[in-house]
Amino acid sequence: MKIIKIIIPYLAFFFISCEKEGIEGPNLNDLYGDLTIVQGLEVIGDSTDFSNNESLFFTASFSKIVDWSISIVGQNSGSTKIISGKSNSINEENSSWNGGVTTLPFFQVENCSVVLSFSNHNDSIFKTLNIVSSKTYGNGQELLISDFESGFNPNFTSFFQTTCSKSIETGGAGQKERYLSQEGTCDWDWLIGYIDYPTSHWLQQGVLSADPDNVFFNMMIYGDSTLSPTNEANSLFKLEFYEDENQDDYYNPNNEDRLDYEFHVDWNGWKMISIRYSDLILATDPSGGGTGGNAIREPNKIIKIRTLLLANPTSGFAKADVDYLIWSEGSPILEQ
Amino acid sequence: MKKNYNLILLLGFLIPALGFGQVTPKVWYDGNSRAMFYRDALSGNLKDQDTTSTRSEGEGYTAIDLGMHFTPNSEIEIFSEIRIKNDFGFMWGSGSSVDLRRLSIKGILDERISFNIGDLYLRQTDFTLNNNRQELAKYEPSVFQAYRDLIEYENFYYKNYWRMQGIQSNLSYSFYNNIKSLELDGFLSRVRGGEWLGQPELLMLGGTSVLKLENNISFKLNHVNSFEVQSSSLDSATYYNPVTNLQLSYRKKISGLDYKLSIEAGASTRGWESTKSFEHPKITGSFIKGVLKIKSSLLTSHITLNYVDPNFRSAGAQTRRVEYNSAPSTYAYYTNNTILRPVSLLDITTDPNIYNQRLSTSLMNYNPLYNAVSPYGESTPNRNGLKYSFSYDNSKTIQAKGDFGFFNEVIGQGTLKKRSFFAGGANVLVKVDELLNLKNKTTAEFSFNSENVRRGGYELESINFNSSLISAGASYELFKNLKLIAGLKSFVGKGNEVGTERNNYDEIIGYDLYNYDSQESIMLIGLQYNFTNDIYFSLQTNKIEITDKIDDINRLSLSRVYFMFNMNL
Repeated sequence: MKIIKIIIPYLAFFFISCEKEGIEGPNLNDLYGDLTIVQGLEVIGDSTDFSNNESLFFTASFSKIVDWSISIVGQNSGSTKIISGKSNSINEENSSWNGGVTTLPFFQVENCSVVLSFSNHNDSIFKTLNIVSSKTYGNGQELLISDFESGFNPNFTSFFQTTCSKSIETGGAGQKERYLSQEGTCDWDWLIGYIDYPTSHWLQQGVLSADPDNVFFNMMIYGDSTLSPTNEANSLFKLEFYEDENQDDYYNPNNEDRLDYEFHVDWNGWKMISIRYSDLILATDPSGGGTGGNAIREPNKIIKIRTLLLANPTSGFAKADVDYLIWSEGSPILEQ
Repeated sequence: MKKNYNLILLLGFLIPALGFGQVTPKVWYDGNSRAMFYRDALSGNLKDQDTTSTRSEGEGYTAIDLGMHFTPNSEIEIFSEIRIKNDFGFMWGSGSSVDLRRLSIKGILDERISFNIGDLYLRQTDFTLNNNRQELAKYEPSVFQAYRDLIEYENFYYKNYWRMQGIQSNLSYSFYNNIKSLELDGFLSRVRGGEWLGQPELLMLGGTSVLKLENNISFKLNHVNSFEVQSSSLDSATYYNPVTNLQLSYRKKISGLDYKLSIEAGASTRGWESTKSFEHPKITGSFIKGVLKIKSSLLTSHITLNYVDPNFRSAGAQTRRVEYNSAPSTYAYYTNNTILRPVSLLDITTDPNIYNQRLSTSLMNYNPLYNAVSPYGESTPNRNGLKYSFSYDNSKTIQAKGDFGFFNEVIGQGTLKKRSFFAGGANVLVKVDELLNLKNKTTAEFSFNSENVRRGGYELESINFNSSLISAGASYELFKNLKLIAGLKSFVGKGNEVGTERNNYDEIIGYDLYNYDSQESIMLIGLQYNFTNDIYFSLQTNKIEITDKIDDINRLSLSRVYFMFNMNL
């Protein structure tokens, strides 16, 4: 009986104290509760100097955990940055912005409209912010091939079919003001036109890293499939990288490598294409000389880049404008 | 059919052949027989509104389960049970079937170790292996016995045992010192067989050891492990769920009262072994339960304290009987939209086909309307509370039993607020003839069950749900062994509850917000003739009403004629 008298109070105490804090499963309020804006959207660090690697962030808080999205749209450039998250507060940790873009073109010095919206809720909050200095991309290791701001470098040789054209256009560029327009219809050949960018005439001179995993080729391409007769992607873009393996300032297809990369331009508007050099494919066409070299990707030995715009002759018009051809090291240029 | 007849022929030849080399082999028979018929007819408003369902429907059959026991010697018994069934409405073998219902071999080795191979009935504790009773059946009046017998027999339910296939063995030793006896029991069962391109085999391995001391103290260690066999499937993940339970009990007689204190505690792990780098969730949970039993000549009381961790998982003890995803036999599809009728009081009380016979590796769905407090029995996860139960037996005139319990959640579901639960019930059986000195046997039975769930907080968190089941039964002996019987089951559920949606890992991923205002009833009146306690027929008419004031489409009104002849040899 003594044992029972001792054990029962201990048991009773144990059961009373057996409770756990916290929640099992998702929060009921987050799934079914009404959304209330506890603290409105604020821009912390408006008019910050993005070119000096500064950033701004947003603050807000809500009555429940919710999928939110902040959309920043440049009023002149039309460029867009989307920041999204799932939380009941927006703060420096989840909303910091360094002036980068989600959708090209790059932001300029301009005013931007800001919209905070929520998934499955109609509420939206509107704000504006000002960019006094736009972001500079790169980590100091980049090499700019051309941004066409000074026009088309006459040392960049090119060929375009008689029914096709290239031209420098102003306004609506992916970066700054000017870009290279390429378009046309050729019903007898796949080639619309090509441009060669010899290393010696790049806008910035330097030597790329020898590590192909660390080197990225970036370029902006403007696609507009709505201009094709079928409203479908009609433009095929090809990149060719020529290596001067023996450093004799001459590319010999019999004993040196060419690396290729091609893709359909199946989007509308500007888009940044970033390709790691090690992802390039060795050209296998003997007439192109792809099999003649050491089959080692050596970005530090590039002598020339050729960009080609192609289209099926039976399907007509093709267009792919280009801007801001640049090498970066470590990561794609938009991530720097 | 041909296969079944071959099976009978094989057994017919095999069993006598087994006895040829033995000394004085014996064959003896037992079995059960049943004839059942029911016919349902729509009634009430639904009869006019529902133009796509038949006005009436029904079915019936006769079945004989013939048990053959063959004992080639005093140490071995071979048992087989063959069902011969004939559905009403067919002739010349069409609609007839012959099935092997049970097959087992049991014996004793060296008069010490017993074994059982084949079909087994297994049970351990409330937390390791236990077949919990279905909802709405507690304190059920005996006039519903015909339905209850049918459900339990057809689903191989025997008390709280699970029917499985495998091998079981046990042995016991008696001592002449401080240790009184030692008993060991072990089993291996195959819960789920191999499936072509399907799930892996599921096995359950378990054991119990009982150590009884001279000073009325006993220790019991139980362990089960349900696990899938990796090599039996192409799946990359295989389930495992070991559960261990240690029990201590002490018995003492003080001032003419028998006291027994039992304490049990244990833990479970539930996870998946993966052959790939993907990490499957692994959870561990514990439980503890203390019971004080006090017994006098007329009254027996139990005071129980119980804690079950939210992460406690036990396939053997948390598998439910009622399958809410199944289609009921009676008017499975109804209304002009031909929707699947949800499982209700009617089906839980009368339909053997909505019941589950196999252990489940995940927490099965349940309907909070019918069982909100302990849907997985004593081992319901996330419960902490106190329960009192009693039984009073004045065998001459009155028998009474009842219980009530208060529970809380250990952790809130979807909110910091925790639910609090109340569940209580009672049953009184009065032998009216003894009480009033009547000549004809007359009994009256009354039962009441109630559940209540509360949760505080603001509108979305708040829960206030009440349900009650009132049952009554009466029988009057018209003449010897022929009784007039009448019964009622009336269920009311009202309020709001929040159900959970779980993923394949039993993790809560969402909620269902329920509002209930439901009334259901079954009334019966009929005749029952008892040849013996185990041989009887019952002819009755039922009136069934289901009314849902929230969703008018869940309305059903039926009249039923039901006949059953039951014979257990």
